[in-house]
Amino acid sequence: MFSDYAALIVLLPVIAFVFTLFLGKKLYSGGALLPIAAIAGSFIISLGIFLEIYPNGMVQQSLPWFAGMNLGILIDPLAVVMLMMVSFVSLLIHIYAVGYMAHDPARPRYFAETSLFTAAMLSVILSDNILQFFVSWELVGLCSFLLIGFWYHKPSAAAAAKKAFLVTRVGDVLFLAGIVLLYVNMKLLVDNGTLVVESQSFILQFKTMFEAIPLINGTQLTYIALLFFGGAVGKSGQFPLHGWLPDAMEGPTTVSALIHAATMVTAGVYLVARTFPMFVATPSTISAGVPDALLIVTYVGGFTAIFAATMGLVMNDIKRVLAYSTVSQLGYMMLALGTAGTVLGAKAVGISMFHLLSHAFFKALLFLCAGSVIHALGTNDIREMGGLFNKMKITGTTMLIAALALAGIGFPFASLGMPIMNIGTAGFFSKDAIIEGALEYGEVTHDMIPYGFAIIAALLTSIYIFRLWFMTFTGKPRSERHSHESPGVMTGPLMILAIFALLFGFSQIGFYGYLEKNFELMDVNIAVHEGEAFHPSAFLILLPVIVGVLGFLISYAIYNKRMIDMSKIVSSQNPLYKLLYNRYYEPKIGANLIGVKLTHDVVAQSGEFIDRKIIDWLIIDNIISNTLLKLGEIIRKLQTGVVQNYASITILGVALLLVLLKLKYGGT
Amino acid sequence: MSLYSYLLISIIIFTIGVYGIITQRSGIKILMCIELLLNSANLNLVAFSSYNGNATGQIFAIFSIAIAAAEAAIGFAILVALFRLRDTINLDNINILRW
Repeated sequence: MFSDYAALIVLLPVIAFVFTLFLGKKLYSGGALLPIAAIAGSFIISLGIFLEIYPNGMVQQSLPWFAGMNLGILIDPLAVVMLMMVSFVSLLIHIYAVGYMAHDPARPRYFAETSLFTAAMLSVILSDNILQFFVSWELVGLCSFLLIGFWYHKPSAAAAAKKAFLVTRVGDVLFLAGIVLLYVNMKLLVDNGTLVVESQSFILQFKTMFEAIPLINGTQLTYIALLFFGGAVGKSGQFPLHGWLPDAMEGPTTVSALIHAATMVTAGVYLVARTFPMFVATPSTISAGVPDALLIVTYVGGFTAIFAATMGLVMNDIKRVLAYSTVSQLGYMMLALGTAGTVLGAKAVGISMFHLLSHAFFKALLFLCAGSVIHALGTNDIREMGGLFNKMKITGTTMLIAALALAGIGFPFASLGMPIMNIGTAGFFSKDAIIEGALEYGEVTHDMIPYGFAIIAALLTSIYIFRLWFMTFTGKPRSERHSHESPGVMTGPLMILAIFALLFGFSQIGFYGYLEKNFELMDVNIAVHEGEAFHPSAFLILLPVIVGVLGFLISYAIYNKRMIDMSKIVSSQNPLYKLLYNRYYEPKIGANLIGVKLTHDVVAQSGEFIDRKIIDWLIIDNIISNTLLKLGEIIRKLQTGVVQNYASITILGVALLLVLLKLKYGGT
Repeated sequence: MSLYSYLLISIIIFTIGVYGIITQRSGIKILMCIELLLNSANLNLVAFSSYNGNATGQIFAIFSIAIAAAEAAIGFAILVALFRLRDTINLDNINILRW
């Protein structure tokens, strides 16, 4: 019954967007209620569909769109869990925003844009073809741009919005190129009869696409997969297109929580998961037994995980630490798709998506807690915070839970053979599975680098997140700012998210089982390298937890007990600190090297040279223009302006015509 | 008289008009030559009308004369205005729009 109304999942927030945008000022609370109601509706429909199709169903609806394309809905296990997560997190953040944005005069615009964003994201998730996916994907990018620049009167916000738009555009162009290449290949297969489709209009549907994968030339398939991955790199802030995500923190904190932590940035991971059969099917030329595309996904993801975490260690802006944490965790998800995809096949999607969902809960929670702190203090700088726990008990507790979840604290009783189940936070279950997948990948391919990436990043993650927590909530207040606990409309969502951050992990087994079937439902077989059963030693099982606790202890020693004097390390004299604090000079490289040197000095200047010096010289100074001028000088003399001359020539012409007629037809 | 002689007279008048337009420099004379061209055409119309036993040509001739009258009135008015302004109606001297 719910599946008949699947289209409403997207349409409700769109309607809310239109009404809030135009009538928001007249509605209660800046128009917040309408989007909240609409997104609640989307969530209820998503939940209803989940209950209907669990465990083996799918929803497929499709209608022709234009010139060989279709509009459609595909809700498989992968999509339905994402739908529920996005609509649920979005709902909580919208409720929270009622409190957080209470004093902002532009609230109608805020709620309209977040509502449109939610609609676009939901549309990305339930697209049944790659073109519709791309259109929604672009809409998501637009909303991100609008919301980062929400306080557009701040020059830094306007610049950050522009940066986000331009950097993600690089990825989007690659993605579009991938779609074109895919279409060309599919069309070729359809035209020579290798691929049989019911109707030409459904050629870009995921289902058709998966059917065609074994038929497409391997090299072409690698190109397509890598171009798609390029889009994912842009959207999910992977190295080297990660720079926009920390800068995007210029928007309101709720936007950061909604878009730049929980939902939009996961679209890139979702894209790779959605087109996963393609990545698995690419040939292995670089490393034996590892599909090329997955190898690149692994290394980009793993490198990003560790690279972003190092920067998270030294940032002083509370939101920026979380932003680098997001980049790092998205790297984990990519790493999971790459490593587990190689050794475990379709199960990798479950592992990655599980981390995506648990990350969405605890990262949204972290951001909302940060928002609560910022709301109370009016500053983003953790050096000006401290000792807040006594005043903000709910925020402090929920943020500690989120930090524990991010650091992956828990204990693997069952994995060590004890008769109790594994107990831990959401992040413990999801991150452990990723690290375990990387370890198994290392065993099978004898390439332990991804595992190293994962373990070191886990240690760094734990250090920076507890540094953040200790700096904010413990010790003595380091500034005279007044602080207070946030209102109930803000702490309510915090508590709900904290429950998910604590307990979501226990759904692990059921979650994997459900998502594993995803591609079977689509009639795709993913080959798995079956090795002998894998039993790591107790030390390796405990290692992720050990590094998590170690990170906690390091942060505790440094930032709570102040046992180590940090002034030597944290100084502009220390080259390593300088490198990290300046974010590996990425903003400088982006602005000065790519922006000024490359784009302006090389491309624009040479363009100007060609235009001014060569083309203008050719056209204006010399050949073409001068020739025309001289010719004109001659021809204009013909126009004497004396009527008699014209009349004479006319009569001469008529006389000539008469003579010619006479000669041709004769007679008298 | 046959049709032929009417047409002959018409051609003679037309040629005189054309010759006048090309050679004369005075605006008045050129206007008069244009009237000659019109009248030669009218003569043709009437001659063919009588030859075919059909009144249409004569009606056309009357229209043509009426239009010629209007055209002459406007033309001479322009020339009078021009003369007041420039003290000449020699078209060679009226050339400010020329290059």
